[in-house]
Amino acid sequence: MKAKYKLISKTIFFPEKGILAVGDLHLGYDRFLQEQGIIIPFNQLEQSKKDLEKTIKEISKKNKIKRIILLGDVKHFFGFQKQELFDVRDFLEFLERFVDRENIILIKGNHEKFSISGYEFQDYFIDGEIAFVHGNKNFPEIFDKRIKTIVMGHMHPAILLKDKNKIKKEKFKCFLVGDYKKKKIIVVPSFFPFIEGTEYYDKFLGEDFSIIPFKKLGNFECFIIGKEKIYNFGKLKDINKE
Amino acid sequence: MTTISKAKKFESSPIVKTLHPIVSEWFFSKFKEFSEPQKYGVMNIWKRKNILISAPTGGTKTLTSFLSILNYLVILAEKEKLENKVYAIYTSPLKALSNDIHKNLIEPLEEINNLAKERGIKLQEIRVGLRTGDTTAYEKSKMSKNIPHIFITTPESLAIVLTSKNFVNAFNSVEFCIIDEIHSLGNKRGVDLSLSLERLNELSKTWPVKIGLSATIEPLEEVAKFLVGIDKKRSILIAKVPFNKKIDIEVLTPVKNLMEGGELNKNTYELLDKLIEQHKTTLIFTNTRSATERVVDKLKDKFPLRYFESNIAAHHSSLSKDHRFDIEEKLRRGELKVVVCSTSLELGIDIGFIDLVILLGSPKASSRALQRIGRAGHKLHEVAKGKFIVSDLDDLIECSVIQKEMIEGKIDNIQFPQNCLDVLSQQIFGMAISKVWDIDELLDTIRKSYCYEKLTKEDFFSVISYLSGRYNLEKDRIYSKIWYDEQEKKIGKRGKLARVIYLTNLGTIPEESFITVKLAGSFEKIGAIDEGFLGRMKRGDVFVLGGSKYVYQYTKGMNLYVRAAPNRNPTIPSWFSEVLPLSFDSALEINRFRKEMKKLFKNSKTKKQIIDFIKKFLYVNDEVAEQAYNYFYEQHNFSEIPDLDTITIEKYVDERDNKKYILVNSMYGRRVNDALSRAVAYVIGSKSRRDVEVGISDRGFYISSEEFLKKDIFDGITEKNFEDILKEAIEKTDILKKRFRHCATRSLMILRSYKGEKRNVKRQQMKTHFLITSVKKISKDFPILKEAKREVLKDLMDLENAKKVIHWIKTGKVKISEDYVKVPSPFSLNLLLQGHMDLMRIEDKQDFLKRMHKYYVQEINKKGMIDYQGDYGDLD
Repeated sequence: MKAKYKLISKTIFFPEKGILAVGDLHLGYDRFLQEQGIIIPFNQLEQSKKDLEKTIKEISKKNKIKRIILLGDVKHFFGFQKQELFDVRDFLEFLERFVDRENIILIKGNHEKFSISGYEFQDYFIDGEIAFVHGNKNFPEIFDKRIKTIVMGHMHPAILLKDKNKIKKEKFKCFLVGDYKKKKIIVVPSFFPFIEGTEYYDKFLGEDFSIIPFKKLGNFECFIIGKEKIYNFGKLKDINKE
Repeated sequence: MTTISKAKKFESSPIVKTLHPIVSEWFFSKFKEFSEPQKYGVMNIWKRKNILISAPTGGTKTLTSFLSILNYLVILAEKEKLENKVYAIYTSPLKALSNDIHKNLIEPLEEINNLAKERGIKLQEIRVGLRTGDTTAYEKSKMSKNIPHIFITTPESLAIVLTSKNFVNAFNSVEFCIIDEIHSLGNKRGVDLSLSLERLNELSKTWPVKIGLSATIEPLEEVAKFLVGIDKKRSILIAKVPFNKKIDIEVLTPVKNLMEGGELNKNTYELLDKLIEQHKTTLIFTNTRSATERVVDKLKDKFPLRYFESNIAAHHSSLSKDHRFDIEEKLRRGELKVVVCSTSLELGIDIGFIDLVILLGSPKASSRALQRIGRAGHKLHEVAKGKFIVSDLDDLIECSVIQKEMIEGKIDNIQFPQNCLDVLSQQIFGMAISKVWDIDELLDTIRKSYCYEKLTKEDFFSVISYLSGRYNLEKDRIYSKIWYDEQEKKIGKRGKLARVIYLTNLGTIPEESFITVKLAGSFEKIGAIDEGFLGRMKRGDVFVLGGSKYVYQYTKGMNLYVRAAPNRNPTIPSWFSEVLPLSFDSALEINRFRKEMKKLFKNSKTKKQIIDFIKKFLYVNDEVAEQAYNYFYEQHNFSEIPDLDTITIEKYVDERDNKKYILVNSMYGRRVNDALSRAVAYVIGSKSRRDVEVGISDRGFYISSEEFLKKDIFDGITEKNFEDILKEAIEKTDILKKRFRHCATRSLMILRSYKGEKRNVKRQQMKTHFLITSVKKISKDFPILKEAKREVLKDLMDLENAKKVIHWIKTGKVKISEDYVKVPSPFSLNLLLQGHMDLMRIEDKQDFLKRMHKYYVQEINKKGMIDYQGDYGDLD
């Protein structure tokens, strides 16, 4: 059975289940830079809320959102930081305006090493034939037979497009969709503003960087996020080919 | 307005009369008579006149400035009237400051003291204190108790002492302030110093007399105003000491025919060897660090019996301080036969006896050439001997014309940047730490600086808004540096950390980030590239470094790992950020020569007549004249010689990849061509909605885009809209990002020293990207962004002279001559090969995405590979 989903802006929505999944937010990156002595006159929290609210409103025109899943790395600091906790809480309160607290699912990312009262971080979340996971760590449950689709974050996929004269190059956030171990894998881009992400076909970050081996990524399809639309660019390995 | 007048030259006898007997005895035990600079300087300084002394290198300037001051202090010391305060400040931008001071101040002072002892005269101790970035905390604390009477410092350290609590009181009655090497301050260091001087003036109870020392430089009136500041109560004298050192210079070519090249490399080293052998000590200037290392290695390699560790050395700014000192010391002792440097030995430290200076490649400006050649025969009356060794025909013409300018005394102009908002931010922060200021009084003080005379209220208050955190909508989220009370009209510092942050982060010299290039696998170090260069490469790109080709593998931390790729073509043109730009004045001089040559060819003069003209006009030998003749002859036969009145344009298609080029021969120097080419590229790109590649060099530029434009390439550009077009054009460039990072660091938006974190190049670039994107979101006129744009347009590029060129084109003074060519003309060939490439991003990112998608859909359809499951895109 095909998983029915819609890619909408930086998020993925499953209409039949009413599930909205959001990629890595890295809240507190602005504060992290300030900590390092870089003054960023920019409010990441407000920008993230604004971006997501726009998407939610768009979906809500014709569909009902029953559940929101944050796919891990909600925050940026590895350690604990008071200010950052404030941002995460504020963001969760913002989400509570759209769904009940118990329908906000927090997946544990590699940046999550703390807890928030009233919330619990989960290693993965399974709804029927779909598993939601951060993507840095493997769990036998998500590769269970009944799972057809795995939705993950962690990788911040992006692509650098070059025209044939190699004059212009621009980077875009993208989804990567492909098959691995008989599952359909959907890698959701980071929700983080301004910084597009990592170009995967180019890079090798170590075999254990994510649950998907690097050599498999070439056959994944690339869906680039445009301002108004999502564009299918075919297989990753065919993009920018000479 | 500041009053400027000519300094009077004094005879010996009145000068001697002012000297204390001991000082006089000491002086004449060392020197026969007063030098020219001393005849102008000593008396005027004694009379407490502000003075700018411009004299050629080796003109005993430093002692000139100190003689009256030493004399004054000796007189006070004898009467036991020396107070515990700073009488004189001496500041110099040189790194090797202490050596120079030892010779020109410490030694004379010791000798005077000894002489006084011999004569039974009791003198109070006259203290000299040196404070630079290297001064230890212990030395500093010692200095704050026993305050040095003569305080030696760098511009940066001067800003520090003006802000330090326990020191500043020692500075409120400084009587003399010497600024050495002013000719090297036409940059943000100079701007910063001019504000520090106004801070000093403001806190002084009496006026500190300004003494400026400079090499040969123009225009002196502007330099004088820079030194003394702008105020109707201020006046300054100018002493222009003539260049009476004889210069013996010559342009040499290593091969008979540079066009063919032949044994260029081999012959160059043989020529170098021959010249070095004929002289006792030779100093070679190469312009770049990499070339410096290369020349030393090659000489050692080719002539192992003559050049070895102990008699040849490389000297450049990336060497460690100790290493450099060591080389300078060996030079002074006459132990080295040859020293090869990039530009690092241009400035005034005494380097002993040098009898030959070789300029390998063009020095790019006559003032710089004079400065370099002046290093030979370092005494005023000795002959300065120099040789240019040229590497190609353009270099041959350029060096010959610069030689002509030197011989005829044509000096290019220095410019001090105006209204830099980043330096202003840093200084206002420092001023606010010192005390609470009335806002109008603050602005008045700042406007007395020559570099801020015309600072607008708007810009001033935008900086105040930035520093006080007003640009951010939520104040609590941002660290503000000052408070500003609008009712009381006062500002002051905010936060306990303010002083520490200021003191550990001030300075104006950007931290150049270099990426170390290593071989993957063996980790062997190959060299270094500029961080910005890395930014435009990705895995698989082939580039040239040190003459070899490498392919990009991966990056880790501040390292780039590569693999050798000898058989592949570069995918990225080489790009050297350290290359000096040709001065506008010298470029025009070359244009004048071209015009003369064009006339001669048009009038069908014989080869002999033309060669005779070249020899006379450029003061060159037969061999050089013959080559210059051949070069121009080929260009004339091919098409047309571009000159003072003509810009020639060649439209050319590279058949290998069908790339279309517009080659523009516009001899105005890289800074002007940078501005012209980007404006042109922007207009072309805006029409076609495509990005355009530009290549920029001193002699012209090229533009590469998907199609040729039929019309005049300057169509759409007017004198009026030129600046606005250019502002738009640089908006998305990499260079703006890089300069923004520098400006953000100077204005302390990015702190260099703060809690510390391991540096990683990708992360660093990501942070800058994040910062500039968020700043643009707030306001296009955010002061630091505005400053980055100003820096790009006016310091990096030369907007003012580019405007002049546009004026010439639009009024028909300069004609455009256009042609389609099968191959580029001789003059254009190097435009293609040596152009520093950049990309003008014009096409909208979303339009580009749509265009690329169309292309990929076709590709995918061809293969019948549409095979995705599920829905994506718009919701139904």
